[in-house]
Amino acid sequence: MTDLATPLLEASAISKSFAQTRALVGANLSLRPGVTHALLGANGAGKSTLSRVISGHVRRDAGQIVYRGEPLDARSPREALDAGIAMVMQETSLAPDLSVLENIFLPDLGRPGRLSRPTMRRRANEILADLGQEHALPLDAEARDLSAAQRQLVEIAKALALKANLIIFDEPTASLSPSEVERLFDVIARLESAQCSVVFVSHRLEEVFAISDEITVMREGRTVAASRPTSSLNQTELVRLMVGRDLGSIYAAPSAPVDARGEPIMSVRALQAPPLVRDISFDLHRGEILGLGGLVGAGRSETVETLFGLRPRTGGEVRYEGRPFAPRTPAEAIRAGVGFVAEDRRRQSIVPDLSVRENLLLGHLGAHRGFGLGYAKLERKIGKLMTRLELPLDRLAEPNLLNFSGGMQQKIIIARWLLLEPKVLILDEPTKGVDIGTRASIYAILRDIAATGTAILIISSEFEELLGLADRVIVISDGASIADVPSAYLDEEKLTLLAAPRASMERYRRLLQELANQCDGAAFWAILDDERVFCLNAATANAMADPALRAGEAPRFEETPISAALHARASNFVLDPTSGLQSLLVDVRSHRGHELGSIGVVIRPDRSAPPAEAMRSAIQERFRATL
Amino acid sequence: MSAIAPEPASGRRASPRSFSLSSAPLELRMLALATVIAVALSLLSPYFLKTANLLNLLDQSVVVGIVSIGMTFVILTGGIDLSVGSVVGLTGVILGLALHHLPIPVAVALGTLSGAGIGLFSGLLIGYFDLAAFVITLGVMAIARSLAYIFSGQTSISDIPPELNDLVYTTVFGVQTNVLTLLVLNAVAWSYLTFTKGGRTIYAVGSNREAARTAGLDVLFYSVVPYVVSGALSAIAATLMSAQILSIDPLAGTGLELDAIAAVVIGGASLYGGRGTIIGTLIGVFIMVMIRNGLNLLGVSPFWQGSAIGGIIIAAVLAERLLSSRTRR
Repeated sequence: MTDLATPLLEASAISKSFAQTRALVGANLSLRPGVTHALLGANGAGKSTLSRVISGHVRRDAGQIVYRGEPLDARSPREALDAGIAMVMQETSLAPDLSVLENIFLPDLGRPGRLSRPTMRRRANEILADLGQEHALPLDAEARDLSAAQRQLVEIAKALALKANLIIFDEPTASLSPSEVERLFDVIARLESAQCSVVFVSHRLEEVFAISDEITVMREGRTVAASRPTSSLNQTELVRLMVGRDLGSIYAAPSAPVDARGEPIMSVRALQAPPLVRDISFDLHRGEILGLGGLVGAGRSETVETLFGLRPRTGGEVRYEGRPFAPRTPAEAIRAGVGFVAEDRRRQSIVPDLSVRENLLLGHLGAHRGFGLGYAKLERKIGKLMTRLELPLDRLAEPNLLNFSGGMQQKIIIARWLLLEPKVLILDEPTKGVDIGTRASIYAILRDIAATGTAILIISSEFEELLGLADRVIVISDGASIADVPSAYLDEEKLTLLAAPRASMERYRRLLQELANQCDGAAFWAILDDERVFCLNAATANAMADPALRAGEAPRFEETPISAALHARASNFVLDPTSGLQSLLVDVRSHRGHELGSIGVVIRPDRSAPPAEAMRSAIQERFRATL
Repeated sequence: MSAIAPEPASGRRASPRSFSLSSAPLELRMLALATVIAVALSLLSPYFLKTANLLNLLDQSVVVGIVSIGMTFVILTGGIDLSVGSVVGLTGVILGLALHHLPIPVAVALGTLSGAGIGLFSGLLIGYFDLAAFVITLGVMAIARSLAYIFSGQTSISDIPPELNDLVYTTVFGVQTNVLTLLVLNAVAWSYLTFTKGGRTIYAVGSNREAARTAGLDVLFYSVVPYVVSGALSAIAATLMSAQILSIDPLAGTGLELDAIAAVVIGGASLYGGRGTIIGTLIGVFIMVMIRNGLNLLGVSPFWQGSAIGGIIIAAVLAERLLSSRTRR
């Protein structure tokens, strides 16, 4: 056994600046062998930068790293790999045209000597078997055809092929379905038992509790809690460490649900823009903040880009202020009163060779008709806007927006659109790479402009942010809108389960349909709290047994015909006196014991219920097989 | 510990910026370089600063200077136009043939329009079909030169009305019209790039095409405009060239594209687009012409001139890279 007392890697006082932004200010990290370590922090806390310093993708400005008792100064990912440190990135680094097998042994291609395919194939199968994923990867397929989860598995196999003994996972679950997350966690558990250290970078607290032994929390480029045992922390403490204050305070109270909102300003029906947008429908009202929730890669960004005229649309109807709306270019959308803060600031928003002022005025330039610039008459408006956004006016004269911190950059980009007084403002991941202080003020600004009647459509992968900010959430999975839920009824867990990719949702639906057919009644999958039942999916075989639950709806118990059973939560079939329906609720869990809500079976009044105990174990078994 | 005040934004900034040559405007740096060269040459050769030689310098700057304006537009969008030299040859031939049948103003207009037309052709292919500017203009370069030979019957056209000479040798306030044309075109181009929506769009397109599109700018249109400008200006250069020597050679303008690109690059523009100025380019033109002229005055073999110009191009690009790696990112 390895000595657990001496750290495998000890990084101390690491500093790193990009231009004028200090990403790391004396960060520390200490890792023990064979331990799964969670590196936690809000967006922009520096956790990715620290991982990239350790894995050689970025060079540090100051500080030192001791690895296995010796100083480590990896100048490239290559050198870190040779030392045994690998990183599995969010956007994977696979060569799309090469086969899976070639990708796994890609680092070997750079070495002298001949490669033997049969040996490679045997080694690959061994590695996958060690991970318990024997047939999960088609070795001869091109990497471009793999799913996000499979690509990740290739990355892991690639790291193991090099005998890595420290693997860093950077936000590995952002694009995975719950069952894929389970599988990844199984793999990580196996790595751990093989004495491989794992660093798990995340901002999803639940996952961190599920998987890690120790937690290091970062905030604003510093380590604020180092190597605390996971069992010694709870969720509230972690949030306070990450944010530096109680989270409730940074999302101002959601505005009162605007129920009688009248005509929507924008209504989208069956929008299509292949390959990622297949069937999106929703209504957006004046003065509301509407969230688009879902996994990375579900088609949320593509949806809003289509609405903004950045992508060609192939089907569906959009009405804007009552008229058909089909912008072919962003200019048309902008002139109609739509603004769009894109996801990737560096690529989609910032023009580095124009001054900060001209960057601010770029949206105006796009909307402006005429030969000249029309800058002069905007001076006063800019002044007011800068005050409102708490931006120093003198910095507008600076030549390069890239020298600003992420938060300041984002404020300038938001200001670019506010200058045009849009009727609809779309924001795609508006707090990516934005420090927590600026975030709070961005939230406040968004609430402010919503209160003045602007409709806001926001995408965020941080479900907490989405739920804290939006009045309503449209859940998108595999390019289709599958639910429209007031955010008051949602929490992170429900949203995660709802947003599962279609393939896995389809499996659940099939299971429910089978159950419904089997007893000629109905079946549903739901999460229950004290007074509401939040339905994730439902299937009905016989209309007489319909419990009136639809995916994404959250009726009160009393509003359903099975309210007695929902209240009782008994281990037996419960008869509802008013409707005569008999229903059974079965709690279901994942392999790792994670609660995943309840499966309900409803039997129509004129049938007798089957034995509950047999039904219960059958359902639990079949549910687990579906995961 | 209920609430920690957010750190002031300035707390996240590294050391304050300090003034240095690298943060001075590009034009100033180029002007300094041009001055250094001028002083050096005047020390080396007593003839350099003579009025006649200075006027000669201006005269030699006209053709390459005008072509370089168009080249600056193209390079600002991140493109390149290799066809300018051949377009000078072809539009010159078209002008010469037109002069046989048409009055001078009409013939000049026809030549300019045909230059713009060739630019439109390249620009549409590059902008709308997203083809590589290098390849398209390379093709157009070959086609234009071959058409120049065919239209001219492989010989130079010399029966040109001598009144065409007036386009060059009329003086206004003692300045020759060809030099005046160069200066006026530079002033117009500079104003366009600085004070109009189109000009700023050209910068934005070259600096970050995606961001320009997302902000609602007409990226396609302004990807095409620079090639049209470049074609038209090549034709104007061809007109002034023909007017000066009253003879048109289908070979005219050979190698001019390299001089123009060199001037733009020496003037501080980035071949990736988004960075560069008309004033910088004009200084770049003067630097090149001065070096040619100086080497001639010093009696250096003309075969060495290529090495001198090439060395300066490489030094300019290298200096720009070293400076920008310190200020950007």
